[in-house]
Amino acid sequence: MEAHKNILTEPIIDMQNVSIRYGKDPEVLSDIKLSLEKGSFHFLTGKSGAGKTSLLSMMYLALKPSRGTLNVFGANVGYARREDMAMMRRKIGVVFQDFRLLEHLSAYDNVAVPLRVRGMGENEIRKRVKELLSWVELDKSMDKICSTLSGGEKQRVAIARAVINRPEILLADEPTGNVDDDIAFKLMKLFVELNKLGTTVVIATHSTDLIARYNYPQIHLENKGLKIIPALRRVKNAE
Amino acid sequence: MLNKLNIRRRTELPLKEDKANFFLEISTAISVFLFSMALVAYFMTSAVISSWRESIIDGLTVQILPPSEQILPDEETLRIGKVIHFFEGLSGVEKVAVVKEKQIKKLMTPWLGANADLEALPLPKLLNVRLSDGKTFDFEKAGDDLKEIAPYASIDNHGIWLKKLIKSATSLKSLSLFVLILVLSVAVFSILYAVGTSLKVHQNIIEILHIMGATDNYVAKQYALRGFFVGFFSSLAGTLMAFLALRIVSHLSSGLETGLIGAVSLGFEHWTVLALIPLFSAVLSMVTSFFCVKHTLKEMM
Ligand SMILES: Nc1ncnc2c1ncn2[C@@H]1O[C@H](COP(=O)(O)OP(=O)(O)OP(=O)(O)O)[C@@H](O)[C@H]1O
Ligand SMILES: [Mg+2]
Repeated sequence: MEAHKNILTEPIIDMQNVSIRYGKDPEVLSDIKLSLEKGSFHFLTGKSGAGKTSLLSMMYLALKPSRGTLNVFGANVGYARREDMAMMRRKIGVVFQDFRLLEHLSAYDNVAVPLRVRGMGENEIRKRVKELLSWVELDKSMDKICSTLSGGEKQRVAIARAVINRPEILLADEPTGNVDDDIAFKLMKLFVELNKLGTTVVIATHSTDLIARYNYPQIHLENKGLKIIPALRRVKNAE
Repeated sequence: MLNKLNIRRRTELPLKEDKANFFLEISTAISVFLFSMALVAYFMTSAVISSWRESIIDGLTVQILPPSEQILPDEETLRIGKVIHFFEGLSGVEKVAVVKEKQIKKLMTPWLGANADLEALPLPKLLNVRLSDGKTFDFEKAGDDLKEIAPYASIDNHGIWLKKLIKSATSLKSLSLFVLILVLSVAVFSILYAVGTSLKVHQNIIEILHIMGATDNYVAKQYALRGFFVGFFSSLAGTLMAFLALRIVSHLSSGLETGLIGAVSLGFEHWTVLALIPLFSAVLSMVTSFFCVKHTLKEMM
């Protein structure tokens, strides 16, 4: 990862002629070119089945492109060692569309996972997790087992888990689909704040409301391809 | 209260609830039981063999039958002298000594009774031959050669049949070694199978952990820890079963005079090794689990 020296000029995620296919199915996305600047904020849009989740999985290194080159943090993912991949993933926060919480664990333990995998001490973990969980208004449900939480509660746990590490890249797949409007905007505010602190954010969403209100540029998927729809207004109008 | 709950957190991989656990616990306990028994067999045969070897080293006894009719004392001395001379000429012989008549009588009393009139019996003469190395001494050839020179004398074939016994005991020892290796491989395969199954079951959780930045080592450590405890406690059960079985066997056989075999028993070092099996098993289970996870994850995702 020697490319770190060029961090200001080099895109944090870079795709060149990337294609995705599952097994022998036809390609879901073909010849994608995409460069995301460090500190940028994008919505990811497209019809259901257009490949939003697939594109995000590639960015969080769970899916390898079937063709083309993918660079994340300046390193070619195709050649990265397993250990290096783990280190890269620690700098990426992910909110899954279907949450993918560890259902047998408490909300607290779920949010603690990204900190525990990097070996942080339990005292520090406790401080951070409690603070964040009360921020997403889950302090009462902290010790509830995840399988007993409501959809909206799970979503907030998933988001808390994604941001607990103050990631350099935040990838969120429909992060506000299951929560009430006021919580949705509170969560969006969290993403905006993180972005201000330098986190690169990509949020997949169907919500035209959200897109209209924040008006960040969109990565729009259509017909296996991709186009960027630029922001109409400046980001600061969001507040 | 919250803190307490958080400290005693559940692990990310719910390995305790694995369906394969029961299979693994039972198979480990049985493997350890069989392993312990085979190890005892190995120790026993080794001990028996070396005690037999030692008794060969001692030497051999030569029996000179009394003449069928009265002969002169000079002739008698000649007969014995011929045999003594023969043995003294053999390489590997250190010393030849005539066993005193008094001692022969003493040896005979258990068979004939203290009141038997030994004077009236024609007693054989006995020679004690001390060997420098009983293991290399060729008993059979010495016996054959002796027969030609002095047909009335014979080697007490103690050494010959001991050598045959040692041979069969040695194959018993090899057999128990083979069983040891067999049981060990079955145990290792069971662990590999159980860990492999568990990894498939928890594939989803492992994938999530990976995306959260967990290394393969992080996952493997959870399996290794679990492997250590399952290995230790199941083996403890197996070892206790083995100790119990040994007690029963030794109790049942305590009434029997098993002669040569009864003379051997397990020493302190043997019991120590047996008692250490759970620890050995726990470490084996831990290491096997760890590397199985590392290897499988590399193949799997
Ligand atoms: N694991 C998979 N195996 C096979 N096909 C898959 C897999 N995941 C996704 N697909 C296919 O890839 C295409 C794109 O799916 P994807 O989930 O990326 O769409 P999406 O844009 O996220 O849709 P939605 O808005 O409904 O979440 C779909 O046709 C889907 O059937
Ligand atoms: Mg999707």
